[in-house]
Amino acid sequence: MTNNVAMDSAKKPKRRKIASLDRRKARAGWFFILPFIIGFIVIYLPMVYESIKLSFHSLKITAAAGYELEFVGWENYSYALGTDPDFVETLVTGLGQLAFDVPAILIFSLFMAVMLNQKAAGRGAFRAIFFIPVILSTGIMESIAAKDIMNSYMEGTGGIDDGSGQSTANDLISTMDMEKLFANMKVGTGLVKYVTSAINNIYNIVNRAGVQMLIFLSGLQSISPAVYESCKIDGATAWETFWKITFPMISPMILVNGVYTVIDSFTTGNNAVMSFISDYYNKDKVISSAMAWVYFLIVIAVVALIAAILSAFVFYQRKND
Amino acid sequence: MNAQNIEKKPVVKRETKNKIRVDFDRSPLKERLKAKFLNFHFLAKVVLAIFRMVLMIGISYIIIFPFLTKISGSFMAMQDFVDVTVRLIPKNFSLDIYRAVIDELAYWECLLNTFTLSFCCAIIQTFICCLIAYGFAKFKFRGRGFLFMLVMLTMIVPHQTLRTSMFLEFRYFDVFGIVRLLKGGGIELFGHNITELGEGVKEFFEGLNVLPDEIKWGAYIPDGSKLEKYRVQMQITQAGISLTETYAPMFLLSLTGLAFKNGLYIFLLRQFFRGVPDELEESAYMDGSGPLRTFFQVILPVSIPMMITVFLFAFCWQWTDAFYTGTLMPTSDTKMLYKMVEIPKSLETEYAGQGLYYSAIRNTCGLLIILPLVVLYAFCQRFLVQGIEHSGIAN
Repeated sequence: MTNNVAMDSAKKPKRRKIASLDRRKARAGWFFILPFIIGFIVIYLPMVYESIKLSFHSLKITAAAGYELEFVGWENYSYALGTDPDFVETLVTGLGQLAFDVPAILIFSLFMAVMLNQKAAGRGAFRAIFFIPVILSTGIMESIAAKDIMNSYMEGTGGIDDGSGQSTANDLISTMDMEKLFANMKVGTGLVKYVTSAINNIYNIVNRAGVQMLIFLSGLQSISPAVYESCKIDGATAWETFWKITFPMISPMILVNGVYTVIDSFTTGNNAVMSFISDYYNKDKVISSAMAWVYFLIVIAVVALIAAILSAFVFYQRKND
Repeated sequence: MNAQNIEKKPVVKRETKNKIRVDFDRSPLKERLKAKFLNFHFLAKVVLAIFRMVLMIGISYIIIFPFLTKISGSFMAMQDFVDVTVRLIPKNFSLDIYRAVIDELAYWECLLNTFTLSFCCAIIQTFICCLIAYGFAKFKFRGRGFLFMLVMLTMIVPHQTLRTSMFLEFRYFDVFGIVRLLKGGGIELFGHNITELGEGVKEFFEGLNVLPDEIKWGAYIPDGSKLEKYRVQMQITQAGISLTETYAPMFLLSLTGLAFKNGLYIFLLRQFFRGVPDELEESAYMDGSGPLRTFFQVILPVSIPMMITVFLFAFCWQWTDAFYTGTLMPTSDTKMLYKMVEIPKSLETEYAGQGLYYSAIRNTCGLLIILPLVVLYAFCQRFLVQGIEHSGIAN
């Protein structure tokens, strides 16, 4: 491209200025992302390379000359997938859990973002509350919450506790009744089960939907109010407006959030597979590395799949300029 | 609504020197209220508002309740945990847990260390991510899309995958063998060392040994034991500098936009910068300022809300992070908040309510850890939404 510009500029001297500005801007762009490029080449790539290499070796840390590696081929992988009794099982249950979580989080965060975007009393306060988990329920707090038995103890308000140890009052809604109700309506047990377990799991979902809500909110803010106004004038109901305007306009954000949610729930520390791998790290660094790579390949496959599915539905608004 | 009254003239009811009370001849109040409130539109609105309010309050309750239980549990005395009648409100109010945790687990020291680390990391990350995101948002160059994919990739690869190699990378930190060269180890290429070429070459490269064996700085920490201890201690061998057990790896990761969730910050900031109108920069370019100056003097000032948002994320996530700190400073003596979650010695007991009691103690540790974050959030939360709101304007 630069060649073309140069040839053009030889013919028409007027264009040289524009081309050089473009090139200067390109150079400035490289300058701005330089920290990342350096980091990627100097730190990240060696790290990735090392990690892949490690997963094919056995490791011994020696005091003086660093560490010793011994090439063992696919042994670590075959150990992780074949010999280790728990890994594959953890992987399968973990993936099942994620297949459940990701849509629930996406739907919930979109719904809440739409709610928070409406002008209603106490919007500011609710926003402040809704983003608390993003800030506070991460890292070490997650592991504290995992061990926390106070919460369920206090929620089991005295009186309802019948002493059987299985107080249904602990669940947010007594979903038994709902399940029965829907079962009688013959909606399909799969869907009913999904919804009821999503409701029982709501704490988890709310806690992990914060960033997604933020991203959706930013997407909603970018839709011009004029579009909604003209819809209203044309007599569209809120339901129609949502599916015909909001949903298509926000679909790029759905793609982003879908990918982000998958990544986030795959890589969060309290995820079953992740905690399994990180427990294994203390036992054997190398096999945990092999396990992590197996896991990563699955993550990549899932991300690619989700991205492919979602991007089929994405509507890109054409820019006016 | 009151179309029939519009034509009529207002009736002056009372007139004083500087006040006048005028009454329009309107339909009676009852009629007006009826017309206003007794229609389907209004009812639907009310029902919807109630529905929404209930939902919002319900979800807020879900979010806040765990914090409430933590707070109430932290003020309970030991006997409250075996008392069945005590649930949310402590019967015997006590500050024992707080006292023990703060005194015995060295809370203030942990706080200071964690604050130093988180603050520095967050500042660096915010700035670096701004730079990178701005580069991606406003400049067209070849390979931009590909490079952005790489940024996303650094976020996709679970950091557990890189855990071992991250530790080794910083335990034996060496950029392209420069440290090896300067330690007299020669240059290694494809598994062969250049010193294998002959004695002369070997001697020459061994003469290059210019780096000290150890870098120490900071105050000498008297420990009682005979070992010398410094705040920062890095050993240098031919295998590389040992950066672990110091903050350096965290700073390096932050400086290169590779730290925790930096991909997300870059994405958010890029989204924001794309929304900043081009005219703003163009006018700056017209006035003869270069890209860097434009960035500092024009772009950064308008993006303060977004920067605060990113800073908030970076700070809080570094604050509660146990993964990076745990991996890169595994045996360090530096007291950090994330290591604070344990049972203080004086509170160790054996009784019926032990499980609950220990849980309450851990929760108290958690509360003390997030207390500064709560304060910070209270001040910054309006920027959180503001920054995000503006990010999409012209997108």
